[in-house]
Amino acid sequence: MRLHDTVIHEGDAEKINAVLTTFLGESGATEALLIDRSGQLLAMTGANRALDTASISALAAGAFSSTGALAQLLGETEFTVLFHQGNKESIHVSTVDDQAILLAIFGERTTVGMVRLFAKEAATAVGQLLAEARSKPRNKGALSTPLTADESRTSFGEPTKS
Amino acid sequence: MAIINYAQKVINFKVVYYGPGVAGKTANLQHIHKSLPDPSKGNMISLAAGDDRTLFFDFLPVSATTVRGFTAKFQLYTVPGQVYYNMTRKLVLRGVDGLVFVADSQWDRLRDNVESFRNLEENLREYNYNLDEMPYVIQYNKRDLANIAPLEYMEFMLNRRARQVPYFEAVAVNGDGVFDTLNTVSRMVLVGEFGQEKGEQRETA
Repeated sequence: MRLHDTVIHEGDAEKINAVLTTFLGESGATEALLIDRSGQLLAMTGANRALDTASISALAAGAFSSTGALAQLLGETEFTVLFHQGNKESIHVSTVDDQAILLAIFGERTTVGMVRLFAKEAATAVGQLLAEARSKPRNKGALSTPLTADESRTSFGEPTKS
Repeated sequence: MAIINYAQKVINFKVVYYGPGVAGKTANLQHIHKSLPDPSKGNMISLAAGDDRTLFFDFLPVSATTVRGFTAKFQLYTVPGQVYYNMTRKLVLRGVDGLVFVADSQWDRLRDNVESFRNLEENLREYNYNLDEMPYVIQYNKRDLANIAPLEYMEFMLNRRARQVPYFEAVAVNGDGVFDTLNTVSRMVLVGEFGQEKGEQRETA
């Protein structure tokens, strides 16, 4: 058995982005990243700056899962919040559901308390949207029919020896 | 567990390089990172201890091809090979879509390969994943060394499940076999996810 895929359609993405945008407005955080616990970015809203979101997602999911394992060693189910404080910027990561986490990057114009407060609300709203998205049929539209041999042939630039 | 984003037209897959310590998992990712042009790769992150042994994981995002207007992205991970890092190894397997088992071909590492393979099966079971349904390939690495076991012997030891999977001989530090491995596992992941038309040759299934 495999975990279900997460499929985010345009409508889901708009709703998720609206929740994240509201969260940024209320909390004063600069960026919000919705991350699958496997390390993949699901959605992002925030300041228009070049961040390596693929790496941030992989590392945050790794850190969060590792604190989860730590919690279990202490008899806790998990630690629901992870907070990294920097000189100018800080990171707050919190649980959305058993498949996703919410990461907020924030600076000096707000506090961890504000971010924590509104992250909880945002997580509940986003969790409902994700549950809806996951319950929809999987491959609609362009991806609903099997691939041809050419379509499945991936090549990363070096010739494949036969 | 693929993530398909219709808004961004992106499909994300997670591929994990598994195997015993010092078998060459990180060397695979390093060669891929060195060889691919910039638009096809992101930054490589290595969470390693002071002696360059992987402590948590290496991570390298790459994108291969466009499938029906969607960019197929593969997030490549390695696990720490040493036996006592099992907890972190298990964490990295979460949501995996495809696997490369990197075996060390040297005679004195055969037992480590088999133990690592068993450990992989156990860890997958904890997530309710089943290796019979998981796209994976085996890479026999370090084929340039003198004290290596014959290929048939390695196959007998490691590729003995009901479903025989594609295997590759490799010298990962030189890049030999690295892209053959990656191209095949990524293709298997795509076919596993979306299926392949009947009548088409399913050489990777």
